[in-house]
Amino acid sequence: MAENSIVLGMADLTVIRATTPVKLITLGLGSCIGLVVYDPNAKIAGMAHIMLPSSRGLMGSEKVGKFADTAVPAIIEQMLKLGAVKSRIKAKIAGGAQMFSLPGMSADFLTVGAKNVSETRQRLGRLGIFIAASDTGGNKGRTIEFSTSNWMLKVKTLGKGVSEI
Amino acid sequence: MSDIASFNAIQLDAIKEVGNIGTGNAATALSGLLSRMINMTVPKTELVSIYELGEHYGDPMQIVGAVFVRALGGFQCSLIFIQNEEDANLMVELLLKQQFGTFIPVGEIPQEMTDSALSEVGNIVLSSFLNAINLLLGTQHQISVPGVAHDMLSSILDVVASIYGQMGETALLVNTELSVEGLESGRKISGHIILIPDPDALELLLRKLKVI
Repeated sequence: MAENSIVLGMADLTVIRATTPVKLITLGLGSCIGLVVYDPNAKIAGMAHIMLPSSRGLMGSEKVGKFADTAVPAIIEQMLKLGAVKSRIKAKIAGGAQMFSLPGMSADFLTVGAKNVSETRQRLGRLGIFIAASDTGGNKGRTIEFSTSNWMLKVKTLGKGVSEI
Repeated sequence: MSDIASFNAIQLDAIKEVGNIGTGNAATALSGLLSRMINMTVPKTELVSIYELGEHYGDPMQIVGAVFVRALGGFQCSLIFIQNEEDANLMVELLLKQQFGTFIPVGEIPQEMTDSALSEVGNIVLSSFLNAINLLLGTQHQISVPGVAHDMLSSILDVVASIYGQMGETALLVNTELSVEGLESGRKISGHIILIPDPDALELLLRKLKVI
C-alpha cells in the first residue's frame, strides 16, 4: 500500500497518529533543522521544520515551529496529548548546515545552523528525550523523509546521495 | 527597525531606484568582463514571506549556483548573485573562453576552478552594484570575500530567512535579473542579483534616500 505523505513547509510542525504508514517530508533544509520525534509503540510521530534557535521571548502571532526553543516543547506536548509515552519518545535530527563561508567575516546569521543544532539538542535533553540519530552541520542542503513503517529517516544530500539514519 | 509592512509606495519606489542604479553598474562591469551585451530587467522591491522564499524565486528544489557577499559599513547589507546551475556553468565556460581563448566544457574543469571563476563573476557583479549604491548614498562599504554554494534553491535562501526571521516574518528584497545575450549558441545566460538589506539598516537607507 502506498504511504500517505505530508510535506512540511518552513516553520511547520505536525504530529500524527500513524494507523497506516505515513511519510513526513521536508524539502531543501539549509541552516534549518528537520526534527523528528516518534513513539513506535503508540505509533505516533511528529516533524518540525525549525528555522532559528531562539524566540528571545518575542512570540507574537508567529508559528510555534519556527524556533527551537518553542518547537521542541510544543511537539513533545502534542505527542503526549495524542497518547505517546514520554520515556518511549525518541528523536532524530537533520540539517543545520552553513551554506556560505566568508573568510574573515563573522555574522550571527552565517552560523545559525550550528546554533539551531545545539539549541534543539539542549531542549530535547532538558525534556529527557533520547536522540537516536542525527546528520547535522556541513555545508550542504538536505531533503529528509521519515517513514513510520520502519521509523527510519532518509537524508538526501546533493553530491553525497541518500543515507538512512 | 522600521516596520516593513508600513513602508509606503514612495519609499518602496526609492529603494527600487537603488536597485536600478546598482544593477546598471553591475551590468556594465559584467559586459566589460565578458565583452558581451547585457540586458537587465527593471528591479523590483519585494516584500516576501520568509516562509515562502523558495517558492517565490522558482522551484525550491531547483539546483542553483550562488555567490554571496556581506557588506559592512554605512548601509549594511548582503548581496547574492544566483543562477540556475546550468546558467552558472555556461557563465563559467564563457568567462574561461574569454580569458584563455579556448572552449573547455565545465565537466572537464576541476570544481575549485569553476567555483573560483563563478566567484569572480559574482564578485565583479556584486561589488559594482555596491560601488554604485555608495556613490548614490554617500556611504562606504567593506566587502567580504565572496562565498560560493551549489545547492537547492530553498537551502540557499535559508540565509535570507536567518537574516529576517528574528525580526519578523517578511523580508524586504531588491531583485533584478541580468542576462548575457549575443552568444553563438543563441541561448541567453541569466542570473538574479538580490540585495538583502540588514533589517536594522532600512531606516538609514530611507533617510539617505530622503524619503523619511
